[in-house]
Amino acid sequence: MSQKQEYKIRLVTKEFLNSDTCYLGFECPGIASSAIPGQFVNISAGTVFLKRPFGIASVDKANGIFYIGVKIVGKGTSEIAKFEPGLTADCLGPLGNGFDFEGYDNIILTGGGTGVFPINFAYETLTSLGKNVTVCEGFRNASQVILNKPGYVLTTDSGDTGIKGTVIAGLDTLEIKDPSNTLVCCVGPIPMMKAVGAWAGGKNMKCLVSMEQRMACGAGICLCCTVKVKDDGPDGYKNVRCCKEGPVFDSREVVW
Amino acid sequence: MNALSVNVGSVNLKSPLILASGTCNFGRELSEYYDLKILGGISSKGLTIKPRAGNPGVRVAECDSGMLNSVGLQNPGVDYFIENDLDFMRDSGAAVIVNVAGHSYEDYIEMVKKLDPHKDKIDALEINLSCPNVKEGCMTIGSDPSAIRYITSELRKLTDLPIWIKLTPNVTDIKATALAAQAGGADAVVLINTLMGMRIDIRTRRPVLTNNTGGYSGPAVKPVAIRMVAECSQVLDIPIVGCGGIADYKDVIEFMIAGAFAVEVGTACLVHPALPVDLTSDLEKYCEDNKIALKDLTGTLQRW
Repeated sequence: MSQKQEYKIRLVTKEFLNSDTCYLGFECPGIASSAIPGQFVNISAGTVFLKRPFGIASVDKANGIFYIGVKIVGKGTSEIAKFEPGLTADCLGPLGNGFDFEGYDNIILTGGGTGVFPINFAYETLTSLGKNVTVCEGFRNASQVILNKPGYVLTTDSGDTGIKGTVIAGLDTLEIKDPSNTLVCCVGPIPMMKAVGAWAGGKNMKCLVSMEQRMACGAGICLCCTVKVKDDGPDGYKNVRCCKEGPVFDSREVVW
Repeated sequence: MNALSVNVGSVNLKSPLILASGTCNFGRELSEYYDLKILGGISSKGLTIKPRAGNPGVRVAECDSGMLNSVGLQNPGVDYFIENDLDFMRDSGAAVIVNVAGHSYEDYIEMVKKLDPHKDKIDALEINLSCPNVKEGCMTIGSDPSAIRYITSELRKLTDLPIWIKLTPNVTDIKATALAAQAGGADAVVLINTLMGMRIDIRTRRPVLTNNTGGYSGPAVKPVAIRMVAECSQVLDIPIVGCGGIADYKDVIEFMIAGAFAVEVGTACLVHPALPVDLTSDLEKYCEDNKIALKDLTGTLQRW
């Protein structure tokens, strides 16, 4: 029943979106052809020991290329940001469970920070399926805004561009016509996902969130990246693997 | 004749490669990457009497050439394992090593009583006296030779299954703890579990791990493990299973020369899940090139 494999991927495109965030395209037909929005890849990063997880930002199936966004936050991400086209790396993927849009005609995609990368993949996929998609993204200030497309609702904490406030301020401007036929998907920092989950719940909409946890293997074998979810057992919760049972969870199941 | 076949006491393994406990769950996830029957064995996730949720918060901290973990023995409990995972392990084609953890002598005794009736599906019990990430039992028992001897002899009375004692390196004299396991009636010792360590976030001045400390594993610990295997090899009559930092076939050879009869591979599989596939073909080539059966390497260390 062997079916997954570790790929050797080759960097083919690289561009900086702002001072500390770059957008990388890797050649790997196996991943490009099978990935769905919300899934991630684990990529080896130069001299650091563990691979690093990145949400898939886009795929080009025709050319066998997948894209990720990398914000430089530490040693691993800075090594990956130094990759130059032609360089190869080890990669596992696509990993985890992506977003299940089934049964909904209206999708609200919302997120911030590096969460805008998986949101981008979801947007591209959903528009190609002809779904009614609304996107609302939040950033700290104008200099942090990336991958913003015409028609997106934009918010910034500073207010120097878009609506001043968090993504909730942006989501509050939306007219929700058919909540039972509307799915909210959020990828961003934990406080943002918690707030969006509560916002959606208050309007009787289901909300899927993509959780993040420090990860070692990405393959479900080390049990390092657990997320607390509600459970009927004596503890009232259980720890499940972000990389295997997630990273996408129903916000109502997460113990925030 | 399979050049890779080895014996750990009465347990015959077609390869010296065993997946180390805590780095492979029960094998299911890795079976998506390769056929587990190439393995000598699989050591299950450390099991306890009751299910354990494990430690909260951050459980992994990367280090130079390795990592700290503080998973805290998250597992579904021995009953669930017997019901849902044991048959999968048996059917994998690799030897079934069941890793048994506990908080007290009674826990270990109860666990072995529960597992012994399933002995037709189990090749060995690996008694975990070495997990550094739980507050009681495990490493507390495993750092005290008299406690090791006592619990081993109590378990010996309960089962005919081979008993392997997995020891902690966090002791002054590994020979003393290994000899205590032997005196208690162990069939083998497994050396080593993780080294206790800590990493600190200099910005917050807090430990990276929410449990404060964790177990260090990966290539960085290999020299410590090799030294301990070599030391114990000089004094033990029972076989040693070597474990700690194996990342390529030369590491396997090194452990066997030091005195290991078989080896466990763990942290490197977190980085390269299908590593045992490469290790197997590299070891076969090594045996062919050197016209040697792997088991003939055990304990061939030529000390200065």
